[in-house]
Amino acid sequence: MADSGAQAAGNHNEAKVVLLNPVQAQLLEKTPFVGFLGIELIDSADEIIYQLTFRDQHIGNPLLRTFHGGILASFGEISAALHVTGVLGLDSEPHCESMTFDYLRPAFAGTIRAVPRIIRSGKRFIVVSVDIYLDQTLVSMGRFIYTR
Amino acid sequence: MKGDTGMADRYLTMAKTFFGTSHPLFNAFGVEVEEIGKGRAVMSIRPQPFLAGRGGGVHRGVIVTLLDTNCGLAIFSRLGDMRPIATIDLRVDFIAEAGAGNAVTSEVECYAVKGDIAYVRGRASTDSGDQLLATVSGSFAVGTLGPAFDSSMKEKGGVNG
Repeated sequence: MADSGAQAAGNHNEAKVVLLNPVQAQLLEKTPFVGFLGIELIDSADEIIYQLTFRDQHIGNPLLRTFHGGILASFGEISAALHVTGVLGLDSEPHCESMTFDYLRPAFAGTIRAVPRIIRSGKRFIVVSVDIYLDQTLVSMGRFIYTR
Repeated sequence: MKGDTGMADRYLTMAKTFFGTSHPLFNAFGVEVEEIGKGRAVMSIRPQPFLAGRGGGVHRGVIVTLLDTNCGLAIFSRLGDMRPIATIDLRVDFIAEAGAGNAVTSEVECYAVKGDIAYVRGRASTDSGDQLLATVSGSFAVGTLGPAFDSSMKEKGGVNG
């Protein structure tokens, strides 16, 4: 992954871009709403960083300029699905059946990062938890239940 | 809502203003306020190409965004003002995917307020109402950071003005 990331970086100026497997590519590039959100995957050493940079269409509270709760949850869920698909090498997209999401602090305009962790991967169900950071601060956390 | 007072009508107008063209996300998503009153609100979203998921219907993330927004509006309606609120937690169960071309309607009630916490539950369905798409329950903090959403509107003769 690190080599392919370095290769892809040749086409871009800054970050090393992750080489996606076909299901991830489909999820990221062929899903209109995912494209609209603008989620980026960046290959950093041996971990993939999922990040989202604030735009006006992400606004929840216009007076404070914070991310909307639904945008945070969407970002968390899509990052979780991409992560699961890549780590487990799924040959089709996992189905999100349920989500719980805790909003810990306001997520002010900036670049947020999702750190997904697979809690359990069973025959039928996959449970993923995702922490979302703004800079070094944990702003929200989600738990997502997928079926294969 | 036909039997409601002028107060409710003014509230609906104000909510439509806030959730309409003046808000970048709601404006882009085409979020509509259908009904509001007595701790309950109904909203809808029409299908647009950029809101679609893989199957062509409205993406589940858009449904969560609609439900979270609708929760807020139901709480404003119960409180009788638009003091700042913030989601504490949200649980959404996805029952079915929206079909391509289907508008989505959501309906949320704020069934309790205890101290600084408001409790909500609701659902999203196809606009015809015959297919349940998702259910939501959650809690919100009341009186959080920042100015009230209706503070600028009050000056223009809004809800409590």
